[in-house]
This record gives sequence, C-alpha cells and structure tokens, in this order.
Amino acid sequence: MIGEIAHFLSLSAAVLLILILIFNVFFSFNKIHSNQLTLSLRLFNQACFLVFISFGMYIYLAISDDFSIVYIANHSNSQLPVFYKVTSIWSAHEGSMFLWIVFLTGWSILFLNSLNKNHPLKRLTLLMLSLIILGFMLFLLITSNPFERILPFGVIEGADINPILQDPALAIHPPMLYLGYVGFVIAFSYITAYLFNGDFELQWEQDIKNWSFVAWIFLTIGITLGSWWAYYELGWGGYWFWDPVENVALMPWLASTAFMHSLFASSKSNVLKAWTMFLGILIFSLSLFGAFIVRSGIIDSVHSFANDPERGLYLLGFSGFISLLAMGIFAYRIPSLNSSKLVVIGSKESFLSMNNILMITSIFSIFLGVTYPLIIESISGDKVSIGPPYYNTIFAPIILIASIFIMISVDAAWQRSMSLRNISLTAAIPSVFSLIITYVVWYATGIFSILAYIGIFSGLLILTSYFVRVINNLFNNRFINKGSAIAHIGLGLLFFVVSMNSILSYEKNLNISLDQTVAVDESVTAFSFDDIKVIKASNHDIISAEVSIRQDGKNVLLNPQKRKYITRGQITSESAIQATILKDTYLTIGDQLENGSWTFSLKINYFIKWIWISSALMVLGMLITIFKQKTS
Amino acid sequence: MNLIFRFLIIIVPILILVFFTKVLLIDEDNKLINFESKIFPEFEMRDLNGNQVSAQSLSGIKILNVWASWCITCLVEHPFLSQLSEKNIEIVGLNYKDTDSKAIAWLQKHGNPYIFSIYDPRGDLAFDLGVTGAPETFLIFDNEIIAHVQGEINQQKWESIFLPLINNNQDQS
Repeated sequence: MIGEIAHFLSLSAAVLLILILIFNVFFSFNKIHSNQLTLSLRLFNQACFLVFISFGMYIYLAISDDFSIVYIANHSNSQLPVFYKVTSIWSAHEGSMFLWIVFLTGWSILFLNSLNKNHPLKRLTLLMLSLIILGFMLFLLITSNPFERILPFGVIEGADINPILQDPALAIHPPMLYLGYVGFVIAFSYITAYLFNGDFELQWEQDIKNWSFVAWIFLTIGITLGSWWAYYELGWGGYWFWDPVENVALMPWLASTAFMHSLFASSKSNVLKAWTMFLGILIFSLSLFGAFIVRSGIIDSVHSFANDPERGLYLLGFSGFISLLAMGIFAYRIPSLNSSKLVVIGSKESFLSMNNILMITSIFSIFLGVTYPLIIESISGDKVSIGPPYYNTIFAPIILIASIFIMISVDAAWQRSMSLRNISLTAAIPSVFSLIITYVVWYATGIFSILAYIGIFSGLLILTSYFVRVINNLFNNRFINKGSAIAHIGLGLLFFVVSMNSILSYEKNLNISLDQTVAVDESVTAFSFDDIKVIKASNHDIISAEVSIRQDGKNVLLNPQKRKYITRGQITSESAIQATILKDTYLTIGDQLENGSWTFSLKINYFIKWIWISSALMVLGMLITIFKQKTS
Repeated sequence: MNLIFRFLIIIVPILILVFFTKVLLIDEDNKLINFESKIFPEFEMRDLNGNQVSAQSLSGIKILNVWASWCITCLVEHPFLSQLSEKNIEIVGLNYKDTDSKAIAWLQKHGNPYIFSIYDPRGDLAFDLGVTGAPETFLIFDNEIIAHVQGEINQQKWESIFLPLINNNQDQS
C-alpha cells in the first residue's frame, strides 16, 4: 500500500510539473503577472515536496524489507544492517535515478526560493528547471519504475546487495557525486533563462556563483571518494583507471573548473562573457551525457548498469533536446552578448582564456577517448580499448603548458599587460628550483620516464611559484588570494605526487607456506606467514591470514582477507594496508596452491595519502573563496 | 569566424546525437544470425600451469572466454563466469596478450572459474580465432565454434544466445 502511495505521489509531482509548463507556455507566455509567478512557484514547491515524501516512503519500504517490490527484492536482503538497506537504494539503476531526481528537486527548490521575489529571470528559470525535472521524472516512471511490484505474491527474501557495495564509502560516494553533477543544473537553467530573456544589461554572475562553487565542491569530493573507495575497499590496487565512467565524471569537473575561472574574469570585467556562458551550459550537458553513457549500457565498464536500449534512447533524446535547446539559444544570442571586447595579451583575462582553451582541449581529448572505441566499432566492427597510455600522453603536454601559464599568471593583473621583464622575474625562481628538484629526483631514483618527469616538473612549477608568493606575503606583506593559492597548491601537489607514485611504486608476487619467512628486498627484509584461519560470518565466510613483515627496521602486522559471500557466491578481497605518510604497504592474499602454500601480492604504493590531501586542499581553497566573498 | 563558431555549437551536438542513436540501434542479435560455424583452429600451446593443451582438449560443450588481467570489463563479467562454473559449465580461458605472473595473480585474487587457461601472450591463437580484444566468448561444441560474442557476457546474452544453442545441440547428440 505504501508503495502505491509513494508511486502515486511521484506521479502527482509529474502532473504538477506538466501543469506548470502548460499554464505558463500556452496560456500566458507573454503576459507576466506577479500572481502567476507566485502560483507557479507554489505549485513547483508542492511538486518538490511530493517527490521528497515519495522518496522518504521508499526509504521506509527498503528498511521494512518490502520484497514485493521488484527493485528492493533484487538489491536488498533482510539480513542487512539498516544502514545498507538504505544505501542499497542507490546501488543500481532505478533507485539511483530516484536519488538523482531528489537532488535535482532539492537544488532547484533551494535556488528558486533564494531568488528575489521579483527577479526578472525567476519565471524562466523555474520553467527550465520544471522541464528538466519532468524529463527525468517521466524517464523514471516510464522506463525504470522503482515501485514495480512482483505480482501476485512477493518473494520472502531479497537477493542481497552486491558485496563490493556493502561499504560505508558507497553510502557517500554516489550521493556526493550526484549532488555535484546535478548542482550545475542551476547554472544551466539560469544561463538559458538569461539568454531567452534577452536583457543583457542584467548582472547574472553573482546569482549563480556560489551555487556553482558548492556543486564543484561536491563533485570534487565525489570523484575523490570514488577513487579512495576503489583503492582501499575494492582492492584494485590503484586510484584511477581511466575507466569510461570515471572519464564522464572528470569531463564535467574540468568544465566546471574552467567555468569558475572564467566566471571570475567575466564578473570583474566584461570579457569572456560568452565563454563563461558556454561553459556553464557545457557542464550540465556533460553531466547529462554522463548519465546517458552510464545508464544506456553502451559502454562496458565496472560502473555501468544493465543494458537497455529503450532507456538509452529516451535519455539520449531527452539530453539531446535539453542541451540543444540551450546551445541553440546561445548560438542565436552570441552577437548580442557584447563580449567582443579585446582581451589584453598578458593580462589576467588572457591567461584565464588560455585556461579555458586548455580545459576544453582536455575535455575534447577525454571525449574522444570515450567515444573512439565506439566509432571504430560502428565502422569496422572491431573492438579497441583506450587505456592509460593514451591519456598519459595527451595530458602530459597539456599539464606542462597549463603549469607554465599558472606560474606566470600568479603575478598578472586585470586588464593590464605584463611586461616581458616581469614575466621573466616571476618565472625565474620556480623554473630553476623545479629543474633542480626534478633532476635530484631522477638522480636519486635512477628511473627515467619522460611523461612522469613532465608531471613532476609541472607540479613543482606550480608549487614553487605559489610558495614564492606565500613567502612574499609573510615577509613583505604582499597581497595573496588565499583561496586560490591553497587550491592551486593542491593542484601542483596532485601533479607531483601522482607522477612520483607512477615511478616509485612496485609490486611483488610471493609464494609462501605457513610458518615460513622470506626476504623480499632491501626495504622489506622479512616476510613471515604466521597463521591462516577460516571464520564464519553472518552472510559470508572469511579466510583470514596473519602476516608479519619487517619493513625499514620496523615490525608490521598485516591481516589480508578473502570473503566468500553465500547468497551470490561472489569472492571479494580485503587487502591489508599499512599506510605511512610516504608510502602504503598493500597486501592481498591469493589462492592456495596444490603444494599447500599460499600466494600473496605485496604492493608498495608511494604518496597515496598525498593524493587525498591535494584534493582536500582544492576543496579547502574553494571553501575559503566562498566564505571570503560572503564576509567582504 | 563568429558564424562558423555558432554553426559548430549546433552541428557538433547534433552529430554526436545522431552517432549515438545509430550505435544504440545496432541490433546485437543481427550479427549472430549471420554467424557461420567453423572448425576450431589447430593449436599446440601451454596453459598457465605449464601443461600442454591442444584442440583435442576442447571436446564436448565448452565455453571459451578470452580474458586478460589488464581488462576491466573482464572483471565485470567475472562473477557471472564464476556462477556458470559453479553450475558445472566448463569454461576454458584464453589468456590474451598478458604476462603469466600477472594472469596467475589475477586469478588468485578474483577466483578461477576456468578449467584451464590457454596462455597466449602474443595473441596467436586469438588471431586465428578472429579475436579483436578482451573480453570475447565463444561457444564450442566438439571442436566446432557455434557462437561468438564480443564484449561482456552476462545473464541476458547467455539466455538469448548461448542457452538455446546448448539445448539444441544436446538434443541432437
């Protein structure tokens, strides 16, 4: 019964949205009464609340083990802790789409109600948001109904959530990512409304700035958590795989990063206005494209949901319609945007527009990497796979150029050109320092990889140029933009540690019997296999090994596990990780061989913690930027 | 210049849209109707444990799955293959363009659903089979290839393509 009520509430929300659209478009598109706006907003608020209540009821259904609902029967189980019963809702397609819609309505309702009562763009933004929410609601209710019942009788027990998803990180990673993806709907709708409206004297940047910044924070945290989860919980042994689904999350991130930079320029002076709008539209279009890639099953990936051409076609049609609508009105309005004022070469704006071009290049390269296999397949029927070598080769030069521009632009000023003398002064110290340190790294490790050293050098360029600024600030009291400095230090650190990680990390496979001790290398001088036992847990068996190693003169106990889940027969690996500030010791247990010995895989991964730190710094920088604006 | 840019903004999304619609509408099953069965090529190779294997090892109903430790999609379909092997369906692995230590480590980490895995580091046998990448899955009946699927094998493809052929051939024999 509750399932039917929840279903009905969702349907009613869709009907309300249709009413809003009909009411505004067909009856009085031109005449605008303030009452009409009030009424539309009221209807919109009610539609959003209906969605929230419906989702709340759905959570209740999941907690109370209502296995007569197909989706819950397929993805939950009565033995699960309540926490995982709730998170199982977003462990597959239908439920996660529902969550996506809840966030969409959440962002929209907050934004619309924060706008001034008589804001000239309020009505058009409301219509755009209603259209987008309605599109997704219909997609949910028509092609992927989460409320569908098993009739006439439900099953007694659910099929269980996929064990690799039984993890606290799953509770946060998808919601954070979705909050980020969806948050850019605000910039998208608002810019589209602005372009439709046609009053280009209106100030628009301030209204969406902080909303986009907050969405960017969620997106950054979401991507980092995904990476963290793959590394620590899934035992993949790495943090980034250039998987198509990781790529479709990275594209909106790059676009939104460019958007924010561009927004600074267009709110300071009138330049880059068209750029900023284009990027604002592009971010959400890329989010829609991502939703299509993941949910159509068009690409084989660890993340993709079941293949269903009907869903794919709907999403493609809808995303295409929304994006083309925005792009079309943008293309139509370009001439009247007055953004043609020439950018002074060597000014801050010129570096920011350079940044835009580099970001678009990166997005295009990733887009090509994602679609190229599909293009080849549709032409010749061959399957090709594009992996890290492609992306590393493409990104190394882009990162180098970007770092050089970041280094120079630290001292650039708005609307004024930078003299060649100033440029050389700014660049001198960081370049020399970075070259020396890069050479020292090469000398100390004795490993050579051109791409990795480009990364190290680029990272150091950014780091040293900002350190020079920080020192200048501390001792000479020169101005420094704290938020920007922290975020860019995070970026430089990221380039540096990722490249260091790629040259220093290594892996050893060991084959060892119980109670044996072997020496591995100069760092790990003793590796003892002390014990192995089988433990029975509620829904899985655990094979747990005890290993003690002597590493760099210290004794470390490691406890890698293997779990076999009874309901699904799936085997998962729980790596044992000993993390120090510099390196992680990552031990995974393999199979027992015929002679009774066991295999282990020992990985030494450098600078992993620093990857999370660098991303935390970027988020921190963003937070400071947001709060500094509020106080000033 | 401005005009070209405006034109591009509209035309590029449209092209992308058309392309993806085309990709979505390619009928997967169409490819299989035209599938002609052929004899499994002769080979003499080693498996990952170092044992000699040849075409004679493929009698009866066998599934041949092309996999590699570097292949992410193989990891996606791996639980499904494990389910099949628990139902006593015999799956032979063809370890494709991989190194044996990595391949063995991968099997140890994720479980081994294969009765044995042919070690094909250069992709010679895979080339004879017409393999273009990993994963791919073949259905073999007494040394004859009767079905070939590129990409992930899952419940749906198993039920629509492999299962009818298996039942069919079992009835005949």
